[in-house]
Amino acid sequence: MLALGVVWAVIVIGATLTGAGRAPADPGNRPVKEPEAGYVTSDACRSCHPGNYASWHASYHRTMTQVAKPENLAAGDIDGLELAHDGLVWRIERQGGAYFAKSRPQNAGASAFGAAQEVVLLTGSHNLQILWLATGEGRTLTQFPLGYIVAERMWAPVTQTFLLPPEYKTFYAAGEWNGACMDCHVTQGRSRFVDGNVFDSRVSEFGISCEACHSEGRDHIAQNRNPLRRFALHLTEKRDPTVANPARMDAHAASLACGQCHSIWAFNNLEDKIAWNRAGVSFRPGEADLKQRFVVQPGDTAHAEQHAQIQRSNPHYFGDRFWGDGMVRVTGRELNGTMASPCFKGGEFSCLSCHEMHPDRPRRDALKAWAADQLKPGHEGDASCLQCHGDYAAKAAAHSRHAAGSPGASCLNCHMPHTTYGLLRAIRSHQVSSPTARESLEHGRPNACNLCHLDQSLAWTAQKLTEWYGQPPPANLGADDREVSAGARWLLQGDAGQRALIAWSMGWAPAQQAAGRAWLYPYLMEGMNDPYAAVRFVAWKSLQTLPGFDGFKFTYTDEDEARRAVIGRAFADWQAGVRRPGEVYPEWSLLTPDGYFRQDVYLRLLNARDHRQVFLAE
Amino acid sequence: MNTSDKHLRFGWWSLFFWLCLGLGLETLHGFKVGWYLDVGAEMRRLMFTLAHAHGTLLALVNIAAGLTARAQNAELPRGASGALTWGAVLLPAGFLLGGVWIHDGDPGVGVALAPVGGLLLLYGVFGAARAFTASKR
Repeated sequence: MLALGVVWAVIVIGATLTGAGRAPADPGNRPVKEPEAGYVTSDACRSCHPGNYASWHASYHRTMTQVAKPENLAAGDIDGLELAHDGLVWRIERQGGAYFAKSRPQNAGASAFGAAQEVVLLTGSHNLQILWLATGEGRTLTQFPLGYIVAERMWAPVTQTFLLPPEYKTFYAAGEWNGACMDCHVTQGRSRFVDGNVFDSRVSEFGISCEACHSEGRDHIAQNRNPLRRFALHLTEKRDPTVANPARMDAHAASLACGQCHSIWAFNNLEDKIAWNRAGVSFRPGEADLKQRFVVQPGDTAHAEQHAQIQRSNPHYFGDRFWGDGMVRVTGRELNGTMASPCFKGGEFSCLSCHEMHPDRPRRDALKAWAADQLKPGHEGDASCLQCHGDYAAKAAAHSRHAAGSPGASCLNCHMPHTTYGLLRAIRSHQVSSPTARESLEHGRPNACNLCHLDQSLAWTAQKLTEWYGQPPPANLGADDREVSAGARWLLQGDAGQRALIAWSMGWAPAQQAAGRAWLYPYLMEGMNDPYAAVRFVAWKSLQTLPGFDGFKFTYTDEDEARRAVIGRAFADWQAGVRRPGEVYPEWSLLTPDGYFRQDVYLRLLNARDHRQVFLAE
Repeated sequence: MNTSDKHLRFGWWSLFFWLCLGLGLETLHGFKVGWYLDVGAEMRRLMFTLAHAHGTLLALVNIAAGLTARAQNAELPRGASGALTWGAVLLPAGFLLGGVWIHDGDPGVGVALAPVGGLLLLYGVFGAARAFTASKR
């Protein structure tokens, strides 16, 4: 009996010791987590910073890139999922804890399925989730062609989840995740180009983790093993030089810690790009410039040579990212807007003036609400602005000429309007500015006034801004600028980016309150027939906000004919059951008394539509 | 008052106090008080739990010491007796104070009482063990 016990004890101890030092198996077909230099990963931060770890864990930064495991899929278990796209049927099958995708031509039988590719990584988790497939070429990845729109619980071609010209059939080619996406969607990624299109990519951590903002933790941990050192820091509240803390940096450095990803940036030169590719980013939070890179700001003379090079290699580069006056027009690049704001020039304003990465005393339920925008608690409204401009709290009504407490008296609605686009919606500009008619007239950017007063003309806005704020009236207003609602014009005549913003505004409650709802139906149905899928999606979601169309079903990715049939039925339903008999449509709405477009003006504006290819590089 | 009575009296009052703390902790759980339960208060939760557990256990140790002394009709040496009592005060009190003000993953400075209490306890238990070993019933 004793001998049996001893043998059993030896087996258990042996098994424990054998397993203890074993590293997880290298999958070989995808980038792997391999912290380098001083990186230690968030696992090492948790025990000393449980609260901060918890708020980071609840954030979508953490889940920006995840290994494809069943529990990480926003769509749930996708075993057996079949999706048709671009002449192919894609099928996903689960084997153990892994998923594999294979495709066959749409008109071929089940035996025509090609080789299966493992789904290895996921990008995104709360808006859109994109799946990445192993290619079998080292750790090089390629994109699964359909992405999952989380809120809609629907799969859509990835090309139709971004604002891209309709003729685009692919978005990211094989290797682009390794060569580009991982620059910002992981912590300290190293692309490690090998040969041809083969990469041997490594990351310090998947997703954006502690060390992305606080820099490497190895030295910080080593030094703080000493409890006397820790308590000296706790009791004196001195800055710990072994760690970067954006909350204690000057405004420029703190903003750059966020802006290392949240900006439109470019490499200084090819050598820097190659160095990044091999060893990852050399910038560390707290430093005053991005080192291998620079923030691309139109008009920045310090990088004129690089700008010219960018322009030569991609003539659409600036147009796909900025409005004509240099204001950024795509989301995810907030530092560009922030840097161009007058507030930033004061030297004390940073991303952290409004945003908070680690709320105090985080509760799990509160963290869920905080995670979407990561605003400081209580800063959902105008509180951020009033920190410095406190005197405007009392004079908001007089200053804005709108009733106190109304959307028109909100600092954000006038000075940070929804003029950037991304994630299938309009998002507030992070360049604090004052509305002008000129920005719309000269650069096409919908101004804050008309984003709410969609029914009013551009001339009306110009006149109000002259009357109230002494802005010089623009001299070159045309007849349509005077007579037609700005919202109607942008939706019919604007470029795809403008159309998306206006379609979104038509579903925005303050705009509906200011401009009325009755005239919006035909416009949104027009938007649902837009050649750009993203515009169709936004218009559909806005239509759902109107009475009679709550929960209205529409597959914005359907072929033209199927879409038109649904829109036709929607229009008939509106005419028959929603539209009030005798509804009067003002002249500016371009609608006839029976709710149809006035064909003369409609066709004229539609024929004058800005058809330039728009690719909003969010 | 002999050491037996002293340890019994201290032990029962101490047990009462630390059981009250336990009730307090359950109340904090019951009302989901964020100051105690938030994810950022992990260290406070740990400290208070340790205070409650150690305080209760050491109260029982003092009762056991008193009962043993009475049963053996022996007296604990004065130093060991004092150490046993003060160890049972300082060790849980250190945890308790360490949990009131915390610094992320570190307890407050009050926790410095805990190792002092721990050493006193060691000394006290060693002294008690020696005294009871040497006693003749």
